[in-house]
Amino acid sequence: MSADKIDFDIVGKSVRRRDAFEKVTGEAVFSTDVKLPGMLYAKVLRSPYPHAKIKKIDISKAEQLPGVKAVAYYGNTPRIKFNTSATMTFTVPHLEPVLDQYVFDDIVRYVGDEVAAVAAVSEEIAQQALKLIEVEYEELPAVYDPLEAMKEEAPHIHTGCKEGKNIPGDIVKIDMGDVEQGFAESDLVIEEMFKVPVQKQVQMETQAAVAQVSREGDITVWSTTQTPHPTRMILSRAFGVPHSKIRVLNPPYVGGGFGVRIGCSAKAEPIAVALAMLAKRPVKVVYTREEDFIASDTRHGGYVWAKLGVKKDGTFHALDLKGVLNAGAYCSFSCETPGVLGAMTLSVYRIPHQKYFGHSVYTNTTPAGAMRGFGNPQGIFALESVVDMVAEKLNIDPLELRLKNIMQVGDPWCLPYPCGATGMAECIEKGAKSIGWDRRGKLNKPGATKVRGIGVAIGSHVSNSWPFCVDYDNAYVTIQQDGSVQVACGVPDIGTGTTTTLPQLAAEELGVRFDMVNMTFGDTASTPFDIGSHASRTLYAAGTAVVAAAKDAKQQVLEYAADLLDVSAEKLDMKDSEVFVAQGSDEKRISLKEIAYHAHLRNKQFIGVGRIVPPNSPTWEAHFAEVEVDLQTGQVKVIKLVGAHDVGKAINPAICEGQIEGGLAMGLGYALSEEIRYNDKGKQQNKSISTYFLPTAEDMPEVEAILVESNDPSGPFGAKGVGETGLVPTAPAIANAVYNATGIRFTEIPLTEERVFFALRNNKKS
Amino acid sequence: MLQDYYIPKSIADTLALLKDNNGRARIIAGGTDLVLDHQAEKITADAFIDISNIDELKKIECSDGYISIGAAVTHNQVARSQLIQEHAIALAQAARAVGSLQIRNIATVVGNVVNAQPAADTAVALVALGAEAEINSFSEVEYVPVEDMYAGLGKSTVDSTSQLVTRIRFAVPERNQGTAFVRLCQRKALALPMLCVAAMVSLKDDKFEWVRLVMAPVGPKPIRAAKAEEMLKGSPVTDEVIEKAAQLALENANPRSSLVRGSREYRMGVLPVLIKRALVAAVAQAK
Repeated sequence: MSADKIDFDIVGKSVRRRDAFEKVTGEAVFSTDVKLPGMLYAKVLRSPYPHAKIKKIDISKAEQLPGVKAVAYYGNTPRIKFNTSATMTFTVPHLEPVLDQYVFDDIVRYVGDEVAAVAAVSEEIAQQALKLIEVEYEELPAVYDPLEAMKEEAPHIHTGCKEGKNIPGDIVKIDMGDVEQGFAESDLVIEEMFKVPVQKQVQMETQAAVAQVSREGDITVWSTTQTPHPTRMILSRAFGVPHSKIRVLNPPYVGGGFGVRIGCSAKAEPIAVALAMLAKRPVKVVYTREEDFIASDTRHGGYVWAKLGVKKDGTFHALDLKGVLNAGAYCSFSCETPGVLGAMTLSVYRIPHQKYFGHSVYTNTTPAGAMRGFGNPQGIFALESVVDMVAEKLNIDPLELRLKNIMQVGDPWCLPYPCGATGMAECIEKGAKSIGWDRRGKLNKPGATKVRGIGVAIGSHVSNSWPFCVDYDNAYVTIQQDGSVQVACGVPDIGTGTTTTLPQLAAEELGVRFDMVNMTFGDTASTPFDIGSHASRTLYAAGTAVVAAAKDAKQQVLEYAADLLDVSAEKLDMKDSEVFVAQGSDEKRISLKEIAYHAHLRNKQFIGVGRIVPPNSPTWEAHFAEVEVDLQTGQVKVIKLVGAHDVGKAINPAICEGQIEGGLAMGLGYALSEEIRYNDKGKQQNKSISTYFLPTAEDMPEVEAILVESNDPSGPFGAKGVGETGLVPTAPAIANAVYNATGIRFTEIPLTEERVFFALRNNKKS
Repeated sequence: MLQDYYIPKSIADTLALLKDNNGRARIIAGGTDLVLDHQAEKITADAFIDISNIDELKKIECSDGYISIGAAVTHNQVARSQLIQEHAIALAQAARAVGSLQIRNIATVVGNVVNAQPAADTAVALVALGAEAEINSFSEVEYVPVEDMYAGLGKSTVDSTSQLVTRIRFAVPERNQGTAFVRLCQRKALALPMLCVAAMVSLKDDKFEWVRLVMAPVGPKPIRAAKAEEMLKGSPVTDEVIEKAAQLALENANPRSSLVRGSREYRMGVLPVLIKRALVAAVAQAK
C-alpha cells in the first residue's frame, strides 16, 4: 500500500459522488420504495405499557377481517432467542453475546415493544386489523433510571444477569498503573458526576424491510441494514434457516444509519420474514417516524463519573472513570458501548495511572444501542469538562493544558494497537486560530444581558471496531474483458459516499481511470462476507480490503503484460489504464483494454481478492465553540463551531468535510436540545421530529471543518475513519464555552434554555 | 371515511357544497394540520372542500382603512407582504415563525386561526392587532373578533362543516401605533413556541394611549394581559412602567408544565422578559 506516495491521480480529489444525481432527482431506490408482485403491507401492534405480562391474546377477529393474510405473535413465530443488533454475530471470543429477544414475546418490556403484527393487502386494512387483536395485559412494576434499576426493590427485567441486578453481559474493567497511588501523588484532584441524555439518530429513512420466501424456502430480504452479511447471520439463527438460503441486500440505497441498524433495522427484517412465512407472500414493513422513535435503538443515556489527579505544573497523573449507562429494555450493543466509552476516554491523554469500570443496566425504556460515537461522546463530555475545571483551578490556559498532556506516538495506552500518527497538536492550533482563541476573556462588556464565551474540547475515536468486536473484510476486484473494473464489497452505502470512495481507492491502486471502475455493494449474494458499515470503518477497513484486492489484480495484470512486452513484471507499472515500463527508458506500452481482451481470448480473467483483518487507527479532533448566552431567557446560541480533524488522508475531501459538518450538527443538538424524556407511565414524550429538537438548517451557526492529514501508515493511502469523530467532543466544547461566558459549570446536558435559566437564577442567589 | 374531494372556484360554490353535503363535508385550505388530524382520526369527514383555488380568497388587500387577508393566503405570503411588513410587523414576524419553509408555503393564516390552538403564532399577533374574521354561513355574513373564536382548548367557534371564514381583517394601524411579536422556542424552525407574545401600542404625548398585549400558551387561547393593559393605559412610556407591566402580565397567565415545551415555573420566570421585549419593540415601532 502506498502511504508514502505523494502524487495521487484520484485519491485526495473531490470527485463527484456517484449517488448524487439520482438522489437529488428522487430516482434512487430505497427500501421504502421496493414493491413486489403480490406484496402485502404490515403493521405492528405495540405495547402501551412499560412492563407487562400478556395474559391472553386473541387474533381470530383480526384474521377474519377481509384482506388480512397473516397475523403473527408469540404463539405462531419461532421461540428462538436472538439479538437484533449485530453484536450476536461479532462478539469477540471469551465473551458471550447476550441473546434476550424473540420476534414476539409474552412479556413486553417498554412502551412500543412488539406484541403482534398483521400483513394485509393494504396498510389501511392492516391498521384496522390491529384494533381487532384482543390483548389482556397484567401490568408489572417498571423502572426507568439505570441507578434505580440496580436497587433491590427494582423489578427484574431479564433473568440471567450474572454481574448484578439488571446488568447485561460483562462489566468492563480497564486498569493501568495504580490510581490510588496516582491520586496520592497528585497535587490537585477533581471529581464530578455527569448525566447524559438519550439521543436519537433521526436518520432520514425510517426502519424498513421487504421479505420474500420462495416455494423452496429461500429467503430474500431488502432492507435498511448497515450490515447485510451479519444481518443474514441474525435471521439465520432467529428462523433456523442456513445462511446459504438467505439473501440480504440494500435496494441499493439506505437513508442514513448513524448506528441505528447495525444488524437488523429494529425488528423490521424479522417481522417481515415471520409474516412472509405465514402469508406465503412478500411482506413489507415500514416503520412510521413515531415507531422509529419509540421502538428502535437510541444513544445510551446515563451517568459518567470522572476523577482526575494532576501535578502542580498541569501534568495529568491519574484518571478514575466510571460509567453506568441506560440499556433500555433489551441489550443490543449495551455490552460494547460502555467498553468504547472507557477505552476512548482513557486514550486521549498520557496518564500513567488509569482505571475504568463501566456497564449498562436494563430499564423499561426504548432499547439503547449503537449511535455515532458509541459511548465516546458520553465519556468525553465528562472528561473534557473536568479538564476545563483543572485548567481554571491551576490558572493554566485550557489549550496549553491540553497540548501539554495529549497522547504522542509511542506513548503507552490501554489499547492493543499502536498510536500510529497524531495530528492533535495541529488540530488544536488550527482550530484555535479559526475560532479566534486570543479573543477569549475579552468578549463582554459589564452589564450585558447577552454574554459570549469560547470553549474547546478534544477527543479521539476508532477507525473500526476491533478489539471491541470481530472485524474483518473481503473484497474482489475483477478486471473485465474490456479493461473496465468491477469492485465487489459487502458494505452498503448508507449515505457516506462509499460507492464513490472505494472505487477511488481501487482506481488509484490499479492505475486505471476512475470512470472505468464500478462497484457492487450491499448484497450478500454478490459480495464476499463483510462486517458492514459501522464504527467509522468502511473507508478504512473495507478500503484496506479493496486496495489489497486491487493490488492482487494489478500484479496479475503486470505479470501477464510482462510476457506481452517482453519486460520483467517488476519493471512495469500501470497509469491511466495503460501498462508502461516504469524503470528504464523503454517506451513500450500496452493498454489494459488490450491486455484484458488478449487474456480473454486465451481463457483467462484477472480476479483480485482482498482478505484482510484491519489494524486500527486513532482519529484525533479538537472542537471549538463560540456561544452567546441570553442571561434573561437562558437560551444558548452557538455563533461559530470549528471541528479540526486529523483524518489521516482525505480520500475525497468534500465527502470528508461533509462527514465532519454533519457530525458537528449532531453534536450541537446533543449539547443544546436533543433529548428523549419519559413521563411517569414510561411513555416517550419526544417521538416525532416536531417534538424532538434536533437542529434544523436555520439553527446551524457558521461551521468550519478543518482537515489535518497525518497520513496514518496503517490506513489505505494514509486514511483514518471519519464517520463518527465529528460529534465526539462537540458537547463539552459548547458547555465549556457556556462556562466561559457565564461562570456556570453544567454537569448535565442538553443545555436547554430552562436548565440554563434556573442555573443562572440559582447562581445569582448564591 | 373520506370519499370526495371538491375544488370549488368561488365562495358561492363553496357554500353550496357545504349545504349540499349537510355536515358531512369540511373545509380544507393548506391542510397542514387537518390532514394530520384526519390521519390520527381526531376529525372525521366524508368529503373535503378545498378552497385554495378560489382567486378572491388568495389576496392580501388594503381598502376602507382595513387590511384583509383572504382564507387561502399562506404564511409565506403574509410574511413576505410589503403591506404587512410595513403596517403590522408583528403579524409578518409571527407568520415567518410558523413551521418550516415548506409548511409556510402551503399553510394558511386563516387556517392557523380556525385550527384554534392556544399558541398559534399568527392568531396571537392578530388578537394584538384587534383583528376580526368574516364568517359566511349559508345565509349571513358576520364579523367576529379573533379572540372570541375559541370554544375551548383546540376548539374553534367556527363550524367548518357549515361555515366558511372568507377573510380576516384589521384596521390599518396609525402612525402613532406600533406592533411587535416575540417568541421563545427550542429551535428556529419546526417548533411550536414555548411562549410567544404580541403587543400593539398606541402612543400619545409620551404616554400609552392604549395597549393590546397578548400571550400564549398560557391558557386555552391567546390570552390578553388585561391587568397590564389596564395599568399601561395612560401611563408614561418609561422602563419602570414597562417593567411593572411585565410583572402584572403574570397575573393573567396560567401556563401548564410540559416535558416537551418547558415547565410552568420556567414559563412564568421568562414571560416577563418576553413581555418587556415586545413592549419595547412595539414602542420603537410607534415612534
